[in-house]
Amino acid sequence: MLTLLHQLRTVKVVGIADRNPDAPGLRRARELHVPVFQESDNLLRVTSPDLVIDVTGDEAMETILRQRLPAGVGILSGPSSRLLYDLVKHEFALQAELLQTDKLAGIGSFAAGIAHDINNPLQLILGLAENLTEEQDLETVHLQARDIVEAVKRTTAICRDLTSYSRRASGRSEQVVSLNAKLDEALKIARYAVGLQDIEVRKSYWPEATAIGNPDEILHVFINLMTNAIQAMDHGGILTITTATCDDTTIVKISDTGHGIPPEMIGRIFEPFFTTKPPGKGTGLGLYNIKNVVHRMHGSINVESHLGQGTTFTIVFPQNKPEEDGRSS
Amino acid sequence: MSEFKSGFFMGSESCNGRVLIVDDEPDIRKVVRLTLQKAGYEVLEAENGAKAIETINTGENRLLLDVIICDIRMPKVNGIEAIAYFRQNYPRVPLIVLTGFPDTDMATSLLRQGVVDYLVKPVEGDKLKAAVARAMEQRELARL
Repeated sequence: MLTLLHQLRTVKVVGIADRNPDAPGLRRARELHVPVFQESDNLLRVTSPDLVIDVTGDEAMETILRQRLPAGVGILSGPSSRLLYDLVKHEFALQAELLQTDKLAGIGSFAAGIAHDINNPLQLILGLAENLTEEQDLETVHLQARDIVEAVKRTTAICRDLTSYSRRASGRSEQVVSLNAKLDEALKIARYAVGLQDIEVRKSYWPEATAIGNPDEILHVFINLMTNAIQAMDHGGILTITTATCDDTTIVKISDTGHGIPPEMIGRIFEPFFTTKPPGKGTGLGLYNIKNVVHRMHGSINVESHLGQGTTFTIVFPQNKPEEDGRSS
Repeated sequence: MSEFKSGFFMGSESCNGRVLIVDDEPDIRKVVRLTLQKAGYEVLEAENGAKAIETINTGENRLLLDVIICDIRMPKVNGIEAIAYFRQNYPRVPLIVLTGFPDTDMATSLLRQGVVDYLVKPVEGDKLKAAVARAMEQRELARL
């Protein structure tokens, strides 16, 4: 429950109380930098909440809380808190399914790039192996056998990249993620969907760019934005990837010099199922999923676009700084 | 434009013809060169469509190039654009497509444009040599 509520952008979890200092909820709260208390009285006194959610299962607790809480503070208790938990869980499961749907749809568009990148080393392997059946010169045999080994390694790297992309994001928990490494990984995968041949890639990285989140989800965000950017430059252009820091935030910018987004559409691009691509080419879930992932990380995403000049997506992530929670017991 | 069999100019009876391989992957150019050189062909290389156009327009190549083997997905001038150029300017030079991505619609379109063979990587050496030999026959007929 705490993890789910923490991810809701509209909710600020001001604290959690449990008498057992080793309770799993308190451990998770510490990981999320949510203040923890052993006495609920302290929590109520210090944090002045708008809503208290009672998950003790103790029927008497609601009465006790009503006696202690000031007027106007809401209480969710018993079956109500259970219902809230089920609804929030369902919402997150739905979002995870939409993310996975979008990813699997994306794999279809990778077919050309994957075939290209696997069949090229296979051609080398086949040609050299055929030659080795007749080759007499021992040094040539060694050199060509080494080339075959390298080609096999390249092919396995492709499979590894795709496995990492197609994996269900829910399998991994939140952690500190190096955004520069994820951007590089995303660029490798995005080029399967769209050839990078006539695209110049410019990178400018702040070396310590990190964010707290699910690494698979962050990877998906970057792949999606880069794929869109490259597809917008069908006659070549410049893809600029920047990470920077400003006022306790980490900023990621992905810019293209493509055809831009028409002003009448820009307000709708984050809506679910909104797409400007022809039928079968896009699910319309990409930017909607991206917005959800970024919001769950308590970040924000903005777009600036000029017709005929290009588009820039800017994501702002909060930096990984523990809250001042001297109140924690 | 007068055209002559390349062996005549090269003074080499052992040369079966001059082949240009156009592919952005050095490994592909290397292995095609290896296969075709062993079969007695002289092999030229170009890393993209722009280089291929430069190569065919350089010196004696405009007369002596016999066959072009061309990839599709390449930087700068891609295979589709390069093939359109070759068909327009060198219609008698047979073209073989060697691509990593099988695409039926594209294959049909290219064969309609006059491409003589559409090969999908990885292609065995014997099949590649057979395709080049067929293209060479076509080239000889065009010279008659």
